[in-house]
Amino acid sequence: MKLLLIEDEQELGDNIQKLLLDKKYICEWVTTVAEALDKISFYDYDCVLLDLMLQGANGLEVLKELKRQHKLEAVIIISAIETLEARLEGLRMGADDYLTKPFHLSELLARIEALLRRKNFKGNNIVSFNEIIIDVLAKTVCINHKLIDATKKEMDLLLYLIANENRVLSKAAIAEHLSGDMAEMLDNYDFVYAHVKNLKKKMNAAGAGDYIKSVYGLGYKWKNE
Amino acid sequence: MSKNLLNKTLQIYSIYAIIILIVAAPIFYFAIKRLYIKEADDTLLLHKKEFVLYTLPSMQEDLIPTWNRFNRNTQIINDGILKADSIYAASYYDSLDAEIEPYRVLESSITIGNKLYTYRAKTNLVEVEDIIINIVILFLLVIILLLLGLFFLTKNLSVSIWKPFYRTLNAIENFELDKAIVPIFLETEVKEFNRLNNTLQHLIENNLSVYKSQKEFIENAAHELQTPLAVFQSKIDQFMQRNDVTQEQSTLLEGLATSVARLTRLNKNLLLLGKLDSNIYSEKTALSISSLIEKNLNFFTEQAEAKNIEIEFNTIEEGKVLANKALLEMLVNNLFLNAIQHNVEAGNIYIEVGNDYLKVSNTGKAIQLNQAKLFTRFSKINTSEKGNGLGLSIVKKIADLNGWELKYEYENQFHIFLILF
Repeated sequence: MKLLLIEDEQELGDNIQKLLLDKKYICEWVTTVAEALDKISFYDYDCVLLDLMLQGANGLEVLKELKRQHKLEAVIIISAIETLEARLEGLRMGADDYLTKPFHLSELLARIEALLRRKNFKGNNIVSFNEIIIDVLAKTVCINHKLIDATKKEMDLLLYLIANENRVLSKAAIAEHLSGDMAEMLDNYDFVYAHVKNLKKKMNAAGAGDYIKSVYGLGYKWKNE
Repeated sequence: MSKNLLNKTLQIYSIYAIIILIVAAPIFYFAIKRLYIKEADDTLLLHKKEFVLYTLPSMQEDLIPTWNRFNRNTQIINDGILKADSIYAASYYDSLDAEIEPYRVLESSITIGNKLYTYRAKTNLVEVEDIIINIVILFLLVIILLLLGLFFLTKNLSVSIWKPFYRTLNAIENFELDKAIVPIFLETEVKEFNRLNNTLQHLIENNLSVYKSQKEFIENAAHELQTPLAVFQSKIDQFMQRNDVTQEQSTLLEGLATSVARLTRLNKNLLLLGKLDSNIYSEKTALSISSLIEKNLNFFTEQAEAKNIEIEFNTIEEGKVLANKALLEMLVNNLFLNAIQHNVEAGNIYIEVGNDYLKVSNTGKAIQLNQAKLFTRFSKINTSEKGNGLGLSIVKKIADLNGWELKYEYENQFHIFLILF
């Protein structure tokens, strides 16, 4: 998978690139609109991560150019502008997702994975991990070929954990991922514990591996045994 | 008690008029009377002068009875006493009117044929009294007429003269700094009112621009914070992934993560409060409060379960309101979350939706909260609480924007927030 990151904030760009490289993605990183336009005219990417407020230029120019050239790149806007209008405008112009800064890196990762899945496996959106098979569209979870009774939240949690395999997920990140638009209002992440506990119980009962590990003081981690 | 400007003026005029009337009437009466008596005395003296000059030289002693017979008011009396001229008031019985009437009398000594006589002339003051009374009445009528005219003229004139003033007053009464609608002042014919209007206009424009730049500053500051916060957040995320994190370090990391999450939330709420004033939330639709609550009931139940809080939701009526969806949702959610945040372990929340109200009651600290401070930004009742001190001020702001009433009460161990739509 090949990604293009357009971000002029040095530290943040650096972190995102590292994250993606860790995940074995190929990630190119540019800091200006001009460089980005160069890149997209020469190469094809699976996904473009686009910051809107770039020095002296609007990141939406890149999006416009992509659409003008009828390119198929999935686009995730990452921006500090959190207004509904900016969000709607970005989506209207053809972006696939919109993530407001500040965000958890794990959230970005989960969104990229979900987006690439949607792009690459048309009509057959399936995530599998060893004995676990999740049909994202049908909203079903199978373990050892047996359907388990997981709630929507539990399925979301499962997908999030798998997308962030081997990464420590803080309770805050999980809480925000699970509560969507309501995340901004949260100040208590205790409910995450209940969801994780329930999911673990259901996985155990279905004979799945004990992939969810607690990390002291920090949160949880999905780890292949 | 404060009075209307016009009434105040008229009241002062009336008091002045009454004082003038009370004081002027007797003064005027006595002045006229004095003048008239002086006039009568002068006439008596003049007649006497004429008598001495023209009649006396030809007067003889034997003509005196005849004179006295034909001149009722000028008598020559034979008393032989020499005295100085004197004028005095006296009353005589008037046989014509059959009553006693006031007179002015002049007595003077004259000599006829070497004998001393007293010349006594008198004049009736009755007509004088009548005239005086008539004059005084006329005079009072004129004064009353004058004052009445003045009164009504002032009243009518004031209404039209002060009209621009009242217009200005209405215009600034409706002005609100955060609504950014500048009142329009019309040009008037009165210099002072124009000055007032210009000053007000200037003041309002200045305040608006200061307010606007303050608001922009807060928004920009909050905006600028987003990027460093994003870096901060991503660094912490990266750090957490290290395999060599010790227990001590993870405690530190957890603290950092909590703080940055809190900072992020605070910043988002600041941005939100800034945006509430602008017009982006002006689009209104008909909404049902109960369905808005139901929509997020699962989320809140989940939050409440962590604290073993029981939620009871009661729809008496659906509660239809015309409002902006995003705003109403924010208001409902903030109220709901507030009830969870400030609740106690194993507490209760009771939510009731009626035709034109929303009532959120929750158990919590057993003290009445300070209502004045409750809805102010950053006025956390207890600083150790996790809330950011903006939730209720967002609720208040949204209520204000829509003209809804927000009430707080503490009753039977319950903190009750009531919104009247």
